[in-house]
Amino acid sequence: MVPIIIIASILFGLSVVARQPDHVSILMPAPFADSTVDLVKSFNQQHHGRIHLNVIRGPLETEAISDLAISSLLLGDTPFDGLLMDVTWVPKYAKAGWLESLDNYFSNNEVSALASGASEGNHYQGSLLRWPLTADIGLLYWRTDLMDQPPRTPQELERISQKLQSSGRVPYGYVWQGRQYEGLSCVFLEVIDGFGGEWFSAESGQIGLDKPAGLAAAQWLDGLIQRGVSPRAVTNFSESEALQSFKSGQAAFMRNWPYAWAELQKNDSQVKNKIAITTMVAQTGHQPAATLGSWGLSLLRGSAHPESTVEAFKFLTSEESQRYLYSQYGYTPTQKAIFNDQDLLKKHPSLQSIGEALAYARSRPETPVYAQVSDVLQRKLSGTLTGMTSPTAGMQQAEQSTIQVLEAAGAAP
Amino acid sequence: MPLTLLLLPSLIFLIAVFALPLIRYVWLSFHADSVMTGLLAIPNQGANWQRFIHDSRYWQDLFQTLRFAFVSVTAEVVLGFIIALILNQPLRKRALIRSSSLIPWALPTTVMALGWRWIFNTPYGPIDRLIQSGLGRPLNALGEPSIAWITTVYADIWKTTPFVALILLAGLQTIPSDLYEAAKLEGAGPWICLRRITVPLLLPYLGLALMFRLAQAFGVFDLVQVMTGGGPASSTESIALYAYWNALRFLDFGYSATIMIGSFVILSSLIVIAWVVISLARNRSAGAFAK
Repeated sequence: MVPIIIIASILFGLSVVARQPDHVSILMPAPFADSTVDLVKSFNQQHHGRIHLNVIRGPLETEAISDLAISSLLLGDTPFDGLLMDVTWVPKYAKAGWLESLDNYFSNNEVSALASGASEGNHYQGSLLRWPLTADIGLLYWRTDLMDQPPRTPQELERISQKLQSSGRVPYGYVWQGRQYEGLSCVFLEVIDGFGGEWFSAESGQIGLDKPAGLAAAQWLDGLIQRGVSPRAVTNFSESEALQSFKSGQAAFMRNWPYAWAELQKNDSQVKNKIAITTMVAQTGHQPAATLGSWGLSLLRGSAHPESTVEAFKFLTSEESQRYLYSQYGYTPTQKAIFNDQDLLKKHPSLQSIGEALAYARSRPETPVYAQVSDVLQRKLSGTLTGMTSPTAGMQQAEQSTIQVLEAAGAAP
Repeated sequence: MPLTLLLLPSLIFLIAVFALPLIRYVWLSFHADSVMTGLLAIPNQGANWQRFIHDSRYWQDLFQTLRFAFVSVTAEVVLGFIIALILNQPLRKRALIRSSSLIPWALPTTVMALGWRWIFNTPYGPIDRLIQSGLGRPLNALGEPSIAWITTVYADIWKTTPFVALILLAGLQTIPSDLYEAAKLEGAGPWICLRRITVPLLLPYLGLALMFRLAQAFGVFDLVQVMTGGGPASSTESIALYAYWNALRFLDFGYSATIMIGSFVILSSLIVIAWVVISLARNRSAGAFAK
């Protein structure tokens, strides 16, 4: 009797082991984890018994989630299978050897179905390392109750602002992100490109800060504060402060990401139904630029279930999921087809402007030492905006420090 | 069995948690170990140290960290001493007052730093509102390099003065009251009592408070990280923040180790100097007391 029980229980145990689903875990920043709860639920229903997806709710801030991911990756075996990554992390994580290539999991057709802009920033040195969940781009928000047409050039933006300010219709013209942090680099990238320059090219190693366009960009941003178009406090503004200021009707223009749209259309907003979006201003003869800030899913090296993880990626980024995430949470879709969806366009007219702006998406420099390069720019630009240095001196120092950083890291081409 | 042998277990423990990481850091500071080397340590013949000596950002951060530490700790000791004297008086509801004065210290630093960030916020914070209605222009405290560091000092004083007060209060309670009575019989006023009895007998506790606070203030990290992120124009960046950025953001562990070891040497020599000065002062005042 006893041996039979033992054998039976061993067999039962084995069958339980055999039926164990693959446990896949993905680390995401808190807002993304919250908005994908329903998607994860339906994924787990559809894959019941085969794959169990568990999204780990990380911290709220971009840098905090990177710190958390890096701390665990440094210790060796990754506790996660997938990571939702900001676009600027890709080269660094790739170079550190933490990412698994996705080339074998996504076909060329799937890649070419991505909207232009959304397809950028997913590759490093030719291999696909990240699959985009949402595209994010810098936009210029403007007030339809104060003007008929948005400005197209930096000079126009200033002129309109000053006119509106002197007639007392708004206390400030333009609010943006001037705090010493990553947002400042995003703002600067759009302005320097709009003046026809380039911040830093990872391929050629060219730095464009101490060049006419770089100087013009720094001078323009500094001038906005000097001439009162932007409040002095902009030197400590991140996205949320700019949004609050614009939302309470304090400014005619704001630079922000697509998420701000939904916030501005809430009932407590002073500018509800009085806003529109367009691309950032650019000097005549130059194309406007929209900083790409997309989030995407990466497979971490050492994952025990790469196939199942990619299956979860495909589910979370499917057309249907993107439609859901856009209409529920305003996440910018990454697939071309969705921008042509007439039903969706009718319900959300702003989708068209976002689609148009996406065509002007520009990546920040794609280098493993991006964090250093951006840090140098933020410090020097913050020094200029707070009156510590002149724009010219600030950009000269920024260019010098960038060269030093690249040399010290051994990343100078 | 020699008694020193009994110390062996704790010595081994100390070596494991203190000396080994330190030795590892020294070793690492002579290697390139960054994202560009694929996180492998490659000897680089002291290039990290060359860079360290010429790194103007580091020296700026060192100055800022020392400034932060000295200004905030000085203020904390002065205020903490006054608060300890008050709390040592026979007040009504003394237990309640004593424990409620500890609230700032009991709060997690990140929480209170976030609070101060909003209090000093321009244009929505209450302090800025007040100043704007008085001066007619916003203070923009967190956006001006010349004053942003003062707000971090202010927040630190608010938080850690109770800690200093607590240590000094413990010290005050060890002073026998008959000393004061004897002095009073000799005709000494409160000022003489304070100078000749309270301060000299409190010196060991003062030294203790200074040691704790200076060590903590030199390593200030969370407060600055949350309140200003090191900005504006890096005017509030501390050494710990810079080292942390190098390690976790830039993935440059070789240079981060160099910063840590460099700072360790500089700061421990400063603490040794301070310790010597304090012991000399203590001996002198002890001598004065004996007379």
